[in-house]
Amino acid sequence: MFVRPTLAALAPARPYICPSCLHRATFQPLISSPYTSALVATRRRALHTVGNPSTDHDAPFRKTLKDAAKQRKRERSGDSVHQASKASEPRLQKWELTVGIEIHAELNTARKLFSSAASSTNDAPNTHVALFDAAFPGSQPHFQIETLIPALRAALALDCEIQPKSSFDRKHYFYQDQPAGYQITQYYEPFARDGRITLHPHDFPNGISPQGGPIAIDIKQVQMEQDTAKTVHQPPATHLLDFNRVSHPLIEIITLPQIHDPTTAAACVRKIQRILRSVDACTAGMESGGLRADVNVSVRERHTQAAQVGNSYHGVTGLGQRTEIKNLASVKAVEDAIIAERDRQIDILESGGVIEGETRGWTLGSKSTKRLRGKEGEIDYRYMPDPDIAPVLVDKDLVAHLQSTLYLSTDDAIKMLTEGEEYNLTSKDASTLVSLDDGARLEYYLDVYQLLHLTLRSRPECLRGAGKVTGNWVLMELGALFKNEIWSADRVPPNQLASIISHLLQKKITGRTAKLLLSLKFQGDSRDVAQIIVDEEMALQPLSQEEYIELAQRLLVENPNIVKDIVEKKQYKKVKWFVGQMIGKAAEGKVEPIAAETVIAELLNLPPGKLK
Amino acid sequence: MASKRALLCIRSYAKQTHSLNGDTDVGIEPDELDELLAKPSWSVESLLPPKNQAPDAPTVSSQQLHHLLRLSALPPPESAEEEKTMLNTLSAQLHFVGEIQRVDTTNVKPLRAIRDETKEAEKEQMVTMDTLSKALAQEQIIGKHHKRIQRKTDPVDAKDVESWNVMGSAERVAGKFFVVDSERPQE
Repeated sequence: MFVRPTLAALAPARPYICPSCLHRATFQPLISSPYTSALVATRRRALHTVGNPSTDHDAPFRKTLKDAAKQRKRERSGDSVHQASKASEPRLQKWELTVGIEIHAELNTARKLFSSAASSTNDAPNTHVALFDAAFPGSQPHFQIETLIPALRAALALDCEIQPKSSFDRKHYFYQDQPAGYQITQYYEPFARDGRITLHPHDFPNGISPQGGPIAIDIKQVQMEQDTAKTVHQPPATHLLDFNRVSHPLIEIITLPQIHDPTTAAACVRKIQRILRSVDACTAGMESGGLRADVNVSVRERHTQAAQVGNSYHGVTGLGQRTEIKNLASVKAVEDAIIAERDRQIDILESGGVIEGETRGWTLGSKSTKRLRGKEGEIDYRYMPDPDIAPVLVDKDLVAHLQSTLYLSTDDAIKMLTEGEEYNLTSKDASTLVSLDDGARLEYYLDVYQLLHLTLRSRPECLRGAGKVTGNWVLMELGALFKNEIWSADRVPPNQLASIISHLLQKKITGRTAKLLLSLKFQGDSRDVAQIIVDEEMALQPLSQEEYIELAQRLLVENPNIVKDIVEKKQYKKVKWFVGQMIGKAAEGKVEPIAAETVIAELLNLPPGKLK
Repeated sequence: MASKRALLCIRSYAKQTHSLNGDTDVGIEPDELDELLAKPSWSVESLLPPKNQAPDAPTVSSQQLHHLLRLSALPPPESAEEEKTMLNTLSAQLHFVGEIQRVDTTNVKPLRAIRDETKEAEKEQMVTMDTLSKALAQEQIIGKHHKRIQRKTDPVDAKDVESWNVMGSAERVAGKFFVVDSERPQE
């Protein structure tokens, strides 16, 4: 459309805004010709249809976009699973859900578990296969002790007790992706037991935990096992196999069935993934298939005698018959699958049926789980200790050393950032800061904060709230600039950002100037921040009170309508418009918003405390 | 011959010790040895069900047999006769196992593998900071305020185990992949 490029060219230099949004928000065509005015007319008409935000000429265009986004979100959130779950709230008063989770995570190691072939993710197929990986007759396993390092770290990060002696067992079943006919795992003697993970309110999506406070989930054990081959399915019945992944070390983390809510289960999986990543034990995420979850779901009636409901698992008694849902590949899939399965089980039980202990599968976007294997297809794994592999004996000094190199856990980091007067960030900000860029963002933040402290140590009054201000700059301002790029701490070196913030806190520049400085440095200006301030004369020379009053009065006279709105109609938000005008009219960096607002309020005789 | 000589040595030693207590002669004379060794006192056959008597082990149903064959990826029997033979053999084998299980094994830990289980061997096999020193050197600590461990991901040389003809023994290949056909339709 030829109208769009012209509009963009004529618009003043500002951040890029997509032409159709711009077009939607403008109310005058800049070029009038029969063709364009007809076009604009139809566009304008279209704007008044249902579902499209109408253009309020006084509202800023950003608000329009926000309203559109809200509308879209409202429509989208009517997806089948969540609507169904909302409908079943009363049923949940009668039925209690119980969930246990089993997570399989690929360990971050150089070599495989039972052979010294290299571990790989996306290399050419069948190029990292040792004889034992292909189960060549006569080949023997060679346990690679280096694989214990990330495994032990993962178990320690999950608060487990490391067993001084553990051994490997064979789990027999035939499948094309398992050349040996058995998987080597740790069934009888896993290397770590009795761990615990605590979910705090900040681990949940909206900061609210379903049970109020922190939820503790016990971990039964963590065991090491082999991974299988990668299969590429060529319909109808051909499979192509790549054995690079065979015998890649995995850890399986088994929780006790103590989870009673789908959001808790999803938060648990997310948190375990985060913890494993933060100790460098498992760096491949769920998106790339490096972490898979299986869930066991059962329901039982609340307030029944435990004796009536038969099943128990490792000390947790009174459970209903469970079904297993395998191979969930995302956190959202975990939550949706549990909700669907819970509803299915309640439906069956309420109509008088019986739950069968079966294995089910879930595909993204479906409304219910599908049966994969029933009781008759149940596999007898015939576990047996593997006679070819020696027991694993772990020295306690090694365990102590690894425990000491776990450093700061994410929970402790968030605690440090939110509690006390030092950093004083909100729980949401702290949680975001800790999880961004594998901890690099938090490192940058702490660096900037330390430099800021150093610079302003002679003026401690300026440091009040410095933690929050720095957090805002690192997360929002700098974060927005980095939106589509990979984070780098060198783009705006920490001492430069610290310099910007220190100038701001000492009121030597305004907020707007600071943002400009940040964007200049981001775009590669090599001058020191202090130098730029001097060169471009950005230093705040605050207007005197008389100058403020003079400027304000001039504006008030020029805009009687808006004055009427504020004073008579009590539209106090329009004071901000005046502030904006004052900042615009004065030279760069001379007007401070708070001072300007105070002056205008005084001049209009507004009751104090009415401004936000 | 060596065994007879050994027996004679033992017998002479036994004779000596006995002469301390008195003069009781409880040994076996060399000429009695042949008679002793002529008749076996025990045979493995005692663990099998006697041929003229039905085995007293629990019977295996045809369904169980098929289940076991499926689990072991063995071909199912082709005729009813073959199935009967299989069931009989299995029955006899179970009787055998039953006899073995009559041995009292309280307080005996099952043997998993014949290994050196002495204290010295344990110390040798233990995974310690020393034995892992090379791997621990492949890690670095990044960050100074917020320290994190990271393994260096330099490429690893595994040519000694990886350079063999992986696809060489496969019946069917497709490019660099192994090919498997599954009979059961994919669900």
